[in-house]
Amino acid sequence: MANQHSAAEEKKHHKHEGPKKHIIAFIFSILLTVIAFAMVAAGEINTTFIYFMLVLMAILQVFVQMGFWMHMKDRGHVFPIVGILSGVVIVFTIVIMAEYWAWW
Amino acid sequence: MAHGHAVKRYSGLMDWLTTVDHKKIGILYLLAGGFFFLVGGLEALLIRIQLWKPLNDFVAAHTFNELLTMHGTTMIFLAAMPMIFALMNAIVPLQIGARDVAFPFVNAIGFWTFFAGGVLLNVSWFAGGAPDAGWTAYAPLSTPTYSTTHGLDYYVIGLQIAGIGTLVGGINFLVTIINMRAPGMSFMRMPMFTWTSFITSALILFAFPALAVGLAAMMFDRLFSGNFFEPTNGGNAVLWEHIFWIFGHPEVYILILPAFGVISEVISTFSRKRLFGYSSMVFATVLIGFLGFMVWAHHMFTTGLGPVANALFSIATMLIAVPTGIKIFNWLFTMWGGSIRFTTANLFAIGFVPTFVMGGVTGVMLAAAPADFQYHDSYFVVAHFHYVIVGGLILGVFAGLFYWWPKMFGRMLDETLGKFCFWTFYIGFHLTFFVQHFLGLMGMPRRVWTYLDGLGFNNLNLISTIGAILMGIGTIAFLLNVVITALKPKNASNDPWEDGRTLEWTISSPAPEYNFLQTPLVRGYDAFWKEKMEGKKAMVPAEPIGPIHMPSPSILPFVMSVGLFIAGLGFMYAKGDYGTGIWASILNNHILAIFGLAITLGCMFLRSVYDDHGFHIEPDELHGDKGVKA
Repeated sequence: MANQHSAAEEKKHHKHEGPKKHIIAFIFSILLTVIAFAMVAAGEINTTFIYFMLVLMAILQVFVQMGFWMHMKDRGHVFPIVGILSGVVIVFTIVIMAEYWAWW
Repeated sequence: MAHGHAVKRYSGLMDWLTTVDHKKIGILYLLAGGFFFLVGGLEALLIRIQLWKPLNDFVAAHTFNELLTMHGTTMIFLAAMPMIFALMNAIVPLQIGARDVAFPFVNAIGFWTFFAGGVLLNVSWFAGGAPDAGWTAYAPLSTPTYSTTHGLDYYVIGLQIAGIGTLVGGINFLVTIINMRAPGMSFMRMPMFTWTSFITSALILFAFPALAVGLAAMMFDRLFSGNFFEPTNGGNAVLWEHIFWIFGHPEVYILILPAFGVISEVISTFSRKRLFGYSSMVFATVLIGFLGFMVWAHHMFTTGLGPVANALFSIATMLIAVPTGIKIFNWLFTMWGGSIRFTTANLFAIGFVPTFVMGGVTGVMLAAAPADFQYHDSYFVVAHFHYVIVGGLILGVFAGLFYWWPKMFGRMLDETLGKFCFWTFYIGFHLTFFVQHFLGLMGMPRRVWTYLDGLGFNNLNLISTIGAILMGIGTIAFLLNVVITALKPKNASNDPWEDGRTLEWTISSPAPEYNFLQTPLVRGYDAFWKEKMEGKKAMVPAEPIGPIHMPSPSILPFVMSVGLFIAGLGFMYAKGDYGTGIWASILNNHILAIFGLAITLGCMFLRSVYDDHGFHIEPDELHGDKGVKA
């Protein structure tokens, strides 16, 4: 009886690939953060360039966080991706509409 | 036994306070939503009595503002939403062949936070005045400058707490429908009510955070002297309108989509026909959900957005008529050639179709921006949204209640009294709101306390008030029906309408606490009907009889919502305008607020550190239920 439950649960477990990829992702995300802070702290870099780089690194950071830590890169995560993408589409539409047409 | 710990079983009141069973939570939602429906209905009657003749002074002008605000807020957030959740809780897990929702504990939190928020909102009546800025609470009317009482504080905090309940409920149903469908039930085999609940939950997920943000900003304005919506300090009043309607427009689709689902189920069952154009119904539902987010500014045509924005939102709004029209024709074609039975549930469903079309037509009229400048803030708008919400959602809820009552309570509602309820409510509804179109076109403004004689408003307002009383009689007939039915023996069969098509009709009425002894195998759309057509009396089981895992009951959700309730009161009265002596220092230093939050956070802590794996019902305990023979 107890075996039945655990057998069913075991099936659902994904195969783990070991910590290697996670360590790389961890170092990469810390690196992104350090660069961002260092860039602003240095104080001698062109502001427009800093804006551009910050946004770029933020986007990369999102991919690292979502992909590795939230397991989006793994199989069986179609619904979270669909959900997040529709959220992004809706929010972008609202922001663009509000910014260009509907703001008063 | 594999799991040694004793099973906690409560009875009586404690059972209802601790339950995590979706069927019982559904009944709790129905009770609470029904109670607030009566409160909102009473407010509506008082509004109509005030307006029955010119220059009436039945209620004071200020009380009238409170009544109309609380009528709208109560009906939308505290009556309509919970009644939808009542049906979703009671039926969706059964329709997909699941034993419960994905997160039973969170489900209980959803109910109790909604209830705490609803009670908090209504406490305002006894605490120096209810909110009075309309259910939309437009700034600057709702800012501290123009609203110095605590009424709007109750609105902001009460809705924030109730909103938590709705949001977690929506997430719960998304996860449930994605993950817990029975083997064989693909997305395109899901019953229509489950589909619409799914899309509604997705809309809740995206729309309610907008409300939460707006209310939080409003809370900062009101409680901590913020300036989000305070124009004199650099805030922007129109920002509130945008935020409110970015939430508010999807909200009306959140309300109407489950009603569409109910109507689809009821019409299909009582026409003894497969739903016409099932896949186009699904497509239309998804499309309505998507477009619902792109039209919010049609509530703000007269704000001065400019011709480009008005034209865009006008077109987007009219586009929604296309998928809605698809649905209307599908219902008509489902009935066409079917052997229709005019049960009470089906009367409500058939009555829904033309009523909703009328609400839709005035919707397209209002979507035409130039014309809207005439209709705006007139009774025409009032007539329109009551046609879609009462004539759409409430008729749908009534249809659903009559249809699923045996599955929820094990007893059939009385049909004769039910038909009396339908005709009085339906005629009363049209009497009340049809004439309001013309009142609006004649120039009667919305939310007006009274009107002068000789404007031609008198007769139409009188007719409207008579209609409202008739709706009240219909509602009383329904309550009477519930009481009479409750006294009858619990004898409804598994499939009391005999034409049940979906999985909920394969199990006993009411369903056992584990729903399905064996998870059924779904072999097509209208799974039960398909088996019936092949001469079988039951579903093919997808698993052998085995121990059934059940979640443990818990009092924590209730205590958490009590904590939020106390915290809400604590924050409201920390402005230094209430109490004296030690009481004032407790309030003004946020001690009461912190105490309330500590209760909630303490419960979250307990829940996190104490692992509760639930319990199992073993096969030898399942006496009386011999499993599925096939």
